Amino acid sequence: MIAIGVKVGGSRTDAVALHEGAVIAKAVAPSLPGDPVRSLADAVRKLPAAHRAEAVQLSVGLNTAARAVMERQGLARVGVLRIGGAAVDAVPPGFGWPQALRRAVLADWENVDGGAGLTPALRTPLDRAAVTRFAERTRGRVQAYAVTGVFAPADGSQERESADLLGAEVPVVLSGEVAGLGLVERENATVLHAALSSLVARLADELTVAASTLTPRATVLVTRHDGTLAGLDYLRRQPGLTLGSGPASTIRGAALLAGLDDALVVDVGERRCRIGASTQGYPQEARAGERIGGVQVSLRFPELTVLTDPLHRLDELAEAVDSMQPGAEPLPVVLVGPRAAAVPDHALPGLRLLRPEHGEAAGAYGAAASLVGAGHERIFRPGDRSDPDGPHLDAVRDEVRELARAGAVRAGADPRSVDVRVDPELPVPYLPGAVLIRARAMGPPLPL
Amino acid sequence: MHLDTDALASLARGCAVLGSGGGGPAAPMIPLVEAALGECGPVALVHPADLPADALVMPVGMVGSSAVGAERIGGRAEPARLRDRVEQQRGGPVAAVMASEIGGQNGCLALAFAARCGLPLLDADSMGRAYPLMHQNVLELAGIRPGPTLVADERGRTVVVDHVDGPHLEHLVRAAVDALGGRAVCSDYPLTAGQAADSAVLGTVSLALRLGAGELPEPLLTGKVTAVQRHGAAAVSVLVDGLGPDSGRLLRVEARSEFVAAVAEGRALALVPDVIALLDARTGEAVDVEDVRYGLRVRVLALPAPPIWYTPAGLALGGPEAFGLSGLVREEVRA
Repeated sequence: MIAIGVKVGGSRTDAVALHEGAVIAKAVAPSLPGDPVRSLADAVRKLPAAHRAEAVQLSVGLNTAARAVMERQGLARVGVLRIGGAAVDAVPPGFGWPQALRRAVLADWENVDGGAGLTPALRTPLDRAAVTRFAERTRGRVQAYAVTGVFAPADGSQERESADLLGAEVPVVLSGEVAGLGLVERENATVLHAALSSLVARLADELTVAASTLTPRATVLVTRHDGTLAGLDYLRRQPGLTLGSGPASTIRGAALLAGLDDALVVDVGERRCRIGASTQGYPQEARAGERIGGVQVSLRFPELTVLTDPLHRLDELAEAVDSMQPGAEPLPVVLVGPRAAAVPDHALPGLRLLRPEHGEAAGAYGAAASLVGAGHERIFRPGDRSDPDGPHLDAVRDEVRELARAGAVRAGADPRSVDVRVDPELPVPYLPGAVLIRARAMGPPLPL
Repeated sequence: MHLDTDALASLARGCAVLGSGGGGPAAPMIPLVEAALGECGPVALVHPADLPADALVMPVGMVGSSAVGAERIGGRAEPARLRDRVEQQRGGPVAAVMASEIGGQNGCLALAFAARCGLPLLDADSMGRAYPLMHQNVLELAGIRPGPTLVADERGRTVVVDHVDGPHLEHLVRAAVDALGGRAVCSDYPLTAGQAADSAVLGTVSLALRLGAGELPEPLLTGKVTAVQRHGAAAVSVLVDGLGPDSGRLLRVEARSEFVAAVAEGRALALVPDVIALLDARTGEAVDVEDVRYGLRVRVLALPAPPIWYTPAGLALGGPEAFGLSGLVREEVRA
């Protein structure tokens, strides 16, 4: 079974072909500014035709979305619907955004009454009439909607209800499917997703066309920020899912190439270097505070330290690597990227260093070797006083597990072989008895 | 003096330092306060003595989970509604807002409430730092009664807690917050400007602003976090290994919900009620207890708490024993 992975970077596009996880061919082409699909096609076309004909999977790492937000190019005009009313009007949508981005994206917004709580008893009824009025007011003036309801990651029913009222003429992105708790940051992330919908839809179309001749038998997938993959249909519904995916596929690819689950990864380029960590084969997530184009978002990007001009500042590199170590027992360090060889061994003393073959194409390798995945999380308070007959922890854990599984299947995974991992439950600070339940599901793509 | 959005970043940084690693993260409050100041204009910062002695002061603080607070961010009408309820209870107009806890998120929240109520903010608070329990405050030490305390959610659902002592207040308010879904705003220990002038910790908003602008004490140690040991849910030990001029020195920082002791060679260089802050050496921001991790480069700072916390009654309420620390003696000689 042959899988092809591609990473379209700022200056170069790498492509690798894998057979049962081993690299059988690789190619590189210069990246063409503003034309990621042609860059991809140029690199893939250099792979042997026989491999392309046989490939069942084409996994693509794109930086188009991040670029579009940064440069404010090709963004859709978004109607922003918040559900929470007077309980959440202390900070309006788009607050604190850079002016130019706000002007480019925010067509109109409304905050309607409604919203969920930690338990069903705390739910406020949705003001359906207000949603309908907003739909009428914005019809024809917006190219996408972003809907953010209070506690939607725990209970997304009112977001789905609103989506029905907003209609099917333009894409509707629901916050509960985009990010976790933290209303403002989740809303920001949801609006950016919606803003990317037109561009990403075009990109998906172009990819489909390009793949039909380059790799006619292959399922086309894109990389996402947690080191997993998603199909193009899913990408259209979650247009921002590629944000943060570049470092993620590199970290995953580097760890796989080195044959390690837990390692630090140093991706060395000409002008800058990115240091991340692989935990059980997947990128370690940053805690919080990610920004895209000057906007605070609550997406779980890989934790990264970025250094400019690393080859002339090796002291800083050593210190940055050391401060990324998760404990006193240092993890081995995998050096990848086009300039990995330029970092001398003595720059990182006392550490096990690996420079795996094909490391310059670690991002493309990571894309080719990854699985389709999704995650789900929920805050739950067992035995809640206001809801004594409510569900028990085991039932909720099972539900979260199933929602993660369903998410992976929606993202394009083969339902027959999805593997679900439930993280150990974490206590929620200052909320006695409450736990955060998280599950991640992944599996190979459905061969269709 | 007036506080506007320019002061906000400094205030948040300073409140985080005074949080001693607890009190809830201050930085996420910035948009909330910025929106309030933007809509309602700058807020006058006043000394309690500038107000008539019988003028009513409304203390304010958020209670519950900061995770829930990040979801239910609050409403524009919430501050004025709380003020109306306080006025109903007290039978007169509120003249100023005061933070019930300067450390962490509540030091910032009070500024948003003052702005939306159109009231001045007192340059004072009830703790001078952050503490985990509501009655761990200097008004309790001064014999001011906790009630009537108002607990309200952002939709105006309100619970009045009265005729209780400090420890009992905590139980009742926690139960109310639980029933309100994990987040509420609370106005406790109602007082007058005269009582604030006599009993509150004075000058703490100015102090936070100065700390946030970089007027910080010399660090006890600058180094790298080389171990973070969590003993159950509540207790954390952090080892900081000196770097640069501090190379070869080792500091152990004990934490509960806040950092409570900094120990070197068996002697406490700082001990609660001292404020102990770990500043990220790269960003200069104070690090919360739950965010301390291996490898972080930090400057460990200590600041004295208000003098009343070092009296026998103060130590009993907010000293080492209150955190289950025994056998530690604070180093008396400290610059």
